[in-house]
Amino acid sequence: MSSFSRRSLVAVGAVTLLAITGCSGGNSANGGGDGGSSSGSLVIDTAFSVETADPGHSYDPTGNMLAKALYETLVDFEGSDVSTPVPGLASWEQNDEATEFTFTLEDGRVFSDGSPIEAKDVVFSLHRIQGMVDAKPNFLLAGVTIEEVDDKTVTFTTETPMLQLPAILANPALGILNSDVVIENGGTTDGADTAQSFLDGESAGSGPFVLDTLDLSSQIVLTGNEEYNGDEASAYDRVVIRNVTESATQLANLKGGDTMVAMDLNGDQVATLGGDQNVDSVASAQTIFLLFNQSAEIAGDLANVKLAEAIRYAIDYDSLLELAGAGSVPATGVIPPAFEGALETGIEQDLDRSAAALAEAGYTGQTLKLQFPNDYPVGGVEFTPLAERVQAQLEDAGIAVELAPAPFATELDAYVNGTEGFGLWFWGPDYADSANFLPFGPGLKVGLRAGWAAEANPEIAALAADAASATDVDERTAAFTEFAEAMQAEGPFVPLIVPGRNIAAAGDVTGAVYNSVWEIDIAEIAPAG
Amino acid sequence: MSTTPVARRRPTRSPLVGYLLRRLGTSILLLIGVTIVTFLLTNLVPGDPVSAALGEGASQNPATREAFIKAHGLDQPLFVQYFIYMANLLQGDLGTSLVTGRPVASDLATAVPATIEIAVCAIIVSLAVSIVLGTLAAYRRGLVTDQVVRVVTLVGLSVPTFWLALVSYYFFFLQLGVAPGSGRISPAITPPPRITGFYTIDYLLNGDSVGFFDAAAHLALPVMVLSLVTIGLLTRFVRTSVLEVLDSDYVRAARAKGLSGTRVVLGYVLRGAALPILTVVGVAFGALLSGTVLVESVFAWPGLGTYAYNAAANLDLTGIMGVGLVVGVIYLLINLVVDLLYGVLDPRVRIA
Repeated sequence: MSSFSRRSLVAVGAVTLLAITGCSGGNSANGGGDGGSSSGSLVIDTAFSVETADPGHSYDPTGNMLAKALYETLVDFEGSDVSTPVPGLASWEQNDEATEFTFTLEDGRVFSDGSPIEAKDVVFSLHRIQGMVDAKPNFLLAGVTIEEVDDKTVTFTTETPMLQLPAILANPALGILNSDVVIENGGTTDGADTAQSFLDGESAGSGPFVLDTLDLSSQIVLTGNEEYNGDEASAYDRVVIRNVTESATQLANLKGGDTMVAMDLNGDQVATLGGDQNVDSVASAQTIFLLFNQSAEIAGDLANVKLAEAIRYAIDYDSLLELAGAGSVPATGVIPPAFEGALETGIEQDLDRSAAALAEAGYTGQTLKLQFPNDYPVGGVEFTPLAERVQAQLEDAGIAVELAPAPFATELDAYVNGTEGFGLWFWGPDYADSANFLPFGPGLKVGLRAGWAAEANPEIAALAADAASATDVDERTAAFTEFAEAMQAEGPFVPLIVPGRNIAAAGDVTGAVYNSVWEIDIAEIAPAG
Repeated sequence: MSTTPVARRRPTRSPLVGYLLRRLGTSILLLIGVTIVTFLLTNLVPGDPVSAALGEGASQNPATREAFIKAHGLDQPLFVQYFIYMANLLQGDLGTSLVTGRPVASDLATAVPATIEIAVCAIIVSLAVSIVLGTLAAYRRGLVTDQVVRVVTLVGLSVPTFWLALVSYYFFFLQLGVAPGSGRISPAITPPPRITGFYTIDYLLNGDSVGFFDAAAHLALPVMVLSLVTIGLLTRFVRTSVLEVLDSDYVRAARAKGLSGTRVVLGYVLRGAALPILTVVGVAFGALLSGTVLVESVFAWPGLGTYAYNAAANLDLTGIMGVGLVVGVIYLLINLVVDLLYGVLDPRVRIA
């Protein structure tokens, strides 16, 4: 280095340093942390699953959480308890046949612009969804006739008994809009509605918050609804919901004080949290299960529920649960705990019974191809290690399994069209009622995905029909229980795990509890103490 | 003595204009090729985009499904879909995302500047550091400094980006508390009114110094992580190029004339080594763009990588097409800039 002096090197180094600082602007030393908790704002980190702020088009977890904050529904749930619908904007009465429901709006309630909430708003909001056939929540109101009786009263008439209607109406997608405002901005009930872009810019509801900004790629900002006169007023004037897809980043943000609520931590991550954070770990409403196709065209000689029985008794459920983490519980049947008709206890591993069923099934050592989505963890449960453990356990029971992972988006088609012979999938309710689990029955949605026609087991098909049409609460519970028991005995499904859901919050925050319908009720979150 | 009439000469077009026109023509053909390949590959992927977009519940509702298919023209034969797409593209319409339901152009208008902002900063930092390290290593060939630089570059090349991003985030944000949290700005800060889409520039244009420093601070860690990987690549090339130039006659002559070391390095060595370095910088910038997806994921950076991943994971056909097109345009622009810079740096290229 004869001619390239040390001074020259220093000069070039200084230029480099300037470039770095020029681009970084220096280090603001935890500016984010300060902004998170000392500003009076509530900051929530979650992996976004939201397409719009228009409840009529929303049917995603983050979308439901957002809609719950901006709009109110006729029916509500309290905290995490989704077993008992309670009055929201309205109280109701129903006939004995559960085909006619009369809702009476609460007095004095107003929208965010101060105008009163009336029956015409209810009818418009729900007719709007019924008119938009391309709207995701459209199916929730299939077969329901909605009519205005007077300013405060609305009737719902159903074609068949629908005891679950109140639970359906608690879905935030069915939030009540200010009809005058929405109509003025393109809202219609004939399917030609163009109000979505307006509702993505500002909200027109009566919830505790109003929409400030909606950036679906990075963050959604809500501010307090100054006209709110319900009983769920928020302790925070400003809420920032941030799109943080990586759960490890959510964990660091929570520990570092950059966020106050982290919604997508898995069981292992939750275990690393200390006394400075609170965690609400509960079983979710999702069930991860194995599916055996009963169509000879798909499964050939193995289209036999006895094979499902053999596998049901070959599985060590406690061992699978080790992969699931906090809040998870073994699946006791197709209906998860906390839902009407859920079974108290599940299947215990019994290799003798498994071997007997395997012999009955006519299994002669064929290799079963287990198809599953490998990029879509449910409640923090990764499907690949779960499938590997199932494979190992079944091999111990003498059943050869070959794993066939695929991306969710490509494998979904095979699953919904019933072309998987042996699959590992999950099912979650569309609304908080056990009727959502009847589709596992023969001839119904999930049953048909397993090639299980109604004629394959008319007894279980009848049980599902009885449960669906029951109008007495006790009879209904008994019917669901009977259905769940029959499915465990003779169904082509092997429910494995109900994954947990962990909502972690900073120690100075309370009320961040999971609800299977809207994830969390933001208005219930408040400073501790 | 006869006089020959002077022939009227047609005004000649500048060679640069002709060159740019030729490049524009080939670029358009290349972009059409990109759309064809992307369209075919996207449609070859097994899976049903309707189910992926609507989800399990809504996709099982025949009316909803049919309305969705019609609304997005998915009931048309593939070649018709392609021609409709191209016809819309000619009018600047990149289509509507199957997943977000919004115009792809507006989605990309948000995502692309976010990625370009970190990528440009990263390439500037990488280039500056690489030139220093590479030159130093070349001047001290075989000595301890050279070995240390070699190890540093190897580490930069071999450490997985995702791991590096996570570790640096935990270390600088969580442990040391010297870096801000994730995202482009702090939660308490309001995003700037959109002018360019680059937060730092938009804050500056709006005279918001608090916003500017907050946005700039949020850039630091993602830029550092992206730079470390690129530094590994560039430093090796700088060292090799400088070594080749150091033995050349004109460098020896410059030294013999008694020029200072700084002048020799800046005026002769680096200028002579610039062409191969420039080529690699172009390639590195492209690689950097594709490498942002993991960094964006860790730092919750709403950029092109995240958008591309979501589009691919959800079989968002128009989203994927839009990303393919934008990436194609970026690559072509980078190559054009690199080719033009060749001419600036080397007069022989200009004359040719």
